[in-house]
Amino acid sequence: MKVTLFATCLVDMFQSDVGKATVELLERLGCEIDFPEAQVCCGQPAYNSGYVKESKEAMKRMIETFENAEYVVSPSGSCTAMFREYPHVFKGDSIWEPRALKLAEKTYELTQFIVDVLKIEDVGARFEGKVTYHTSCHMTRLLRVASAPMTLLKNVNGLEFTMLPGKEQCCGFGGTFSVKMGQISEQMVDEKVMHIEETGADYIIGADAGCMLNIGGRIQRTGKPIQVLHIAEVLNSR
Amino acid sequence: MMQGTIQNRDAFLNQIASRLGRERLSAPLPRPAWQYQPQDEVLKDATVNELVEVLKTHCLKIHTSFVMTDLQNLPETLEKTIADYGNESIVTWKDQRFSDWGLDPLLKDTLPRQNIDVYEWDYTRGAENIRQAEKANIGITISEITLAESGTVVLFSDKDRGRTVSFLPKTFICLIPKSTIVPRMTQAARIMREKHLQGNNISSCVNFITGPSNSADIELELVVGVHGPVKAAYILIDDL
Amino acid sequence: MTMKIGTGQFKERVDQGINDSFMRGAVAGAQERIGTRRNDVISELNWEEWRSHGEEIRQHVLEHLDYYLEQLSENVAKRGGHVFFAQTGEEANEYIQQVVAKKDAKKVVKSKSMVTEEISLNTALEQAGCEVIETDLGEYILQVDDHDPPSHIVVPALHKNKEKIRDVFSEKLGYQLTSKPEELAGHARKKLREEFMAADIGITGCNFAVAETGSFSLVTNEGNADLVTSLPKTQITVMGMERLVPTFEEMEVLVSLLTRSAVGQKLTSYITVLTGPREELDVDGPEEFHLVIVDNGRSNILGGDFQSVLQCIRCAACVNACPVYRHVGGHSYGSIYSGPIGAVLSPLLGGYDEYKELPYASSLCAACTDACPVKIPLHELLLKHRQIIVEKEGKAPISEKLAMKAFGLGAASPLLYKMGSKIAPMAMNPFTDGDKISKGPGPLKAWTEIREFPAPNKERFRDWFKNREKGGKQ
Repeated sequence: MKVTLFATCLVDMFQSDVGKATVELLERLGCEIDFPEAQVCCGQPAYNSGYVKESKEAMKRMIETFENAEYVVSPSGSCTAMFREYPHVFKGDSIWEPRALKLAEKTYELTQFIVDVLKIEDVGARFEGKVTYHTSCHMTRLLRVASAPMTLLKNVNGLEFTMLPGKEQCCGFGGTFSVKMGQISEQMVDEKVMHIEETGADYIIGADAGCMLNIGGRIQRTGKPIQVLHIAEVLNSR
Repeated sequence: MMQGTIQNRDAFLNQIASRLGRERLSAPLPRPAWQYQPQDEVLKDATVNELVEVLKTHCLKIHTSFVMTDLQNLPETLEKTIADYGNESIVTWKDQRFSDWGLDPLLKDTLPRQNIDVYEWDYTRGAENIRQAEKANIGITISEITLAESGTVVLFSDKDRGRTVSFLPKTFICLIPKSTIVPRMTQAARIMREKHLQGNNISSCVNFITGPSNSADIELELVVGVHGPVKAAYILIDDL
Repeated sequence: MTMKIGTGQFKERVDQGINDSFMRGAVAGAQERIGTRRNDVISELNWEEWRSHGEEIRQHVLEHLDYYLEQLSENVAKRGGHVFFAQTGEEANEYIQQVVAKKDAKKVVKSKSMVTEEISLNTALEQAGCEVIETDLGEYILQVDDHDPPSHIVVPALHKNKEKIRDVFSEKLGYQLTSKPEELAGHARKKLREEFMAADIGITGCNFAVAETGSFSLVTNEGNADLVTSLPKTQITVMGMERLVPTFEEMEVLVSLLTRSAVGQKLTSYITVLTGPREELDVDGPEEFHLVIVDNGRSNILGGDFQSVLQCIRCAACVNACPVYRHVGGHSYGSIYSGPIGAVLSPLLGGYDEYKELPYASSLCAACTDACPVKIPLHELLLKHRQIIVEKEGKAPISEKLAMKAFGLGAASPLLYKMGSKIAPMAMNPFTDGDKISKGPGPLKAWTEIREFPAPNKERFRDWFKNREKGGKQ
């Protein structure tokens, strides 16, 4: 199966290990990976700040870059949800709406792709450790992917899982919200970190680069002995 | 009934139509064909006895005592319930059914002889009715429609059935004929609408009452009995 | 704008909220308790179908609003009620003042109503020489405490603890018992009973008016609305113009959605459906009934991008689900309408000058949209506000505009994007400390005030991928 990787700008620049794990994992599951060099950002930072015109330019580039793919897969729920939102953004545009729709239909978040398209529930991973999982908002509420990551984690050998209390609460990232409304974002991420600590987990796992940047950054600043991992890294460990 | 007045309507509605980008609608609108009707699914196939069970179970959640009886034992059951709530003054609707159900001896003889005031609503006495209801310990009414799902009784006001009988006394006792039980509010709404479409005036006040008055306005702690009754009791009468 | 509460800038109000530990504990507790009850009670139903039905009813009514309002007014008049259409809050208040004058009324009892808060009716009544008594327990507490503003649509005094309420009651009402809620409520009951019996006019809001019969419904747990509408000789009901349904059948559906969403109950203790004044021989109920239908900026929302916000049934499910409200509380919003619905509605009714920050007070987590029983796409409407603030109002900060222009250019050009991301590690070098940036420049400054930011990877993912392709896999 041919998979075109939409790595996301955060992974490209700041979390290349996540990108590497995604590639290795998908290859192990029998996919052939392609990474188009022309990919940029999905446009979400501008779009969510109200700069719709500016964001549309980025979106058009992304449509051009990915529209010939068989499947587009991304290790980020929020960015995937943005792709799925493109047809809505271009609603009424006779050229771009159909192209956006075609792209949206074949774009998947990584765990969703593994479970729903590849029909694999056990990736044969082994990971020793006590973990909890952050269900990010855009992945669960916009993309409606809730069970796939749980299914995959459940089948990882050696992994000890504890459910995160208050898991439906936002971590306080929200893109530019995290800097525009820093004082509120701080309260939100602190509550999230407190809940993570309550589980006694050594690792907090997520499937969204933005949330992980936020939660990880706060954990690092406050010096908590908890490690942040992307679900691709866990599923890729053996 | 005197016709009321309507002021400032046209400019107001014209503004709405213009914002909606069209002329004012004048021709009667047909009933909308709704795409969804989930309300019909609730307790759809339940038998009357199953509905009674649902009602009974839900009474536990709404701080309401529930007792079942039949017409023969009704006077005794009511007498006991009144005693449970302190054997003090009572106000009731004026309703032929009290008589039909054999409650006259209790309400008009037994209780008064025990020095328990029983005041029957009498519209000719005007505001005196409200004074009586305000000082009564117990108000007794009859449910016209009873909603199993939510444990709700439905009361229709009229000249003999004062609204305040169910609000002002400390205890609310409602007699529920088993024949009035329906699954939920959906059926009650249809009955009311039917009544209207058949050309009958709907009562000026229809009360859907679900247990005693309560509030969680202070630190979200439930307080039972704020403005209306502090206690509620349902007596289900098997009239089928 | 009279829906405004408090003074001070948004950031100051937020700081105050964040530092109010009692309020935050109360709000978090309320969100969890109401949330749990709501989840339990909606799980018994095919909730998504119920929401879709609620949505289609509300959309249909808004599309045909002039028709249903006309039908409603005809039917109210047929039953002897008087209907006044008020395009502004002032018009509504003046009309009500006239009724008060004609009745020579001295005492008004009110049941809870957001629209009367919105138009500051109480102030207008006091100007007309009336004593106004709020009878909803929460509203009464706020009123006794020198008109403290509400902080939640359904639980208005949520921000107050019982000790504070006891102190207020002792100071203002001569209360001498403990801070137990039942004793406090018992005292209020006694006081308010006297007020009910002596009141000249009862004023209510309206949960749902019914066009076909000229009826309207009131939903409470306390039963105060029933006393407000049973005892005084004159009744005035004030409704926002969009709060109506075609028939009893739709009323029933929306009441069910409301009580489950607002308080997690199948039905509240009292749902009262009133039609006209009392009938000729009735003893209780008002002799005279007035219905005041208020526009006050609502019609400007019709026909535009925000029309769906008028679907709102004021259940506060979005407020109870909101993580931002959870930490900052209701007063931070500076409006009687708080939480996500407040952040959407306040700028529409009160203008962007007053409320331009509110659309940004959201992480766009969409919990509000999921919770809404009539499917208002709240987080999308917040985004729409942001777009208007940027594109039409020009109220965005210059630095942000420049950054976003640069984003537009950079993101739209694969080449520029590639170059930018390539030089990032070098550009960030002065700020980098090992693998992290602790004191970032520009927009990163706000981020690094509370958290670390990762240093850009020396080898970008794309470089790794390219090199790997060149070298052949492994």
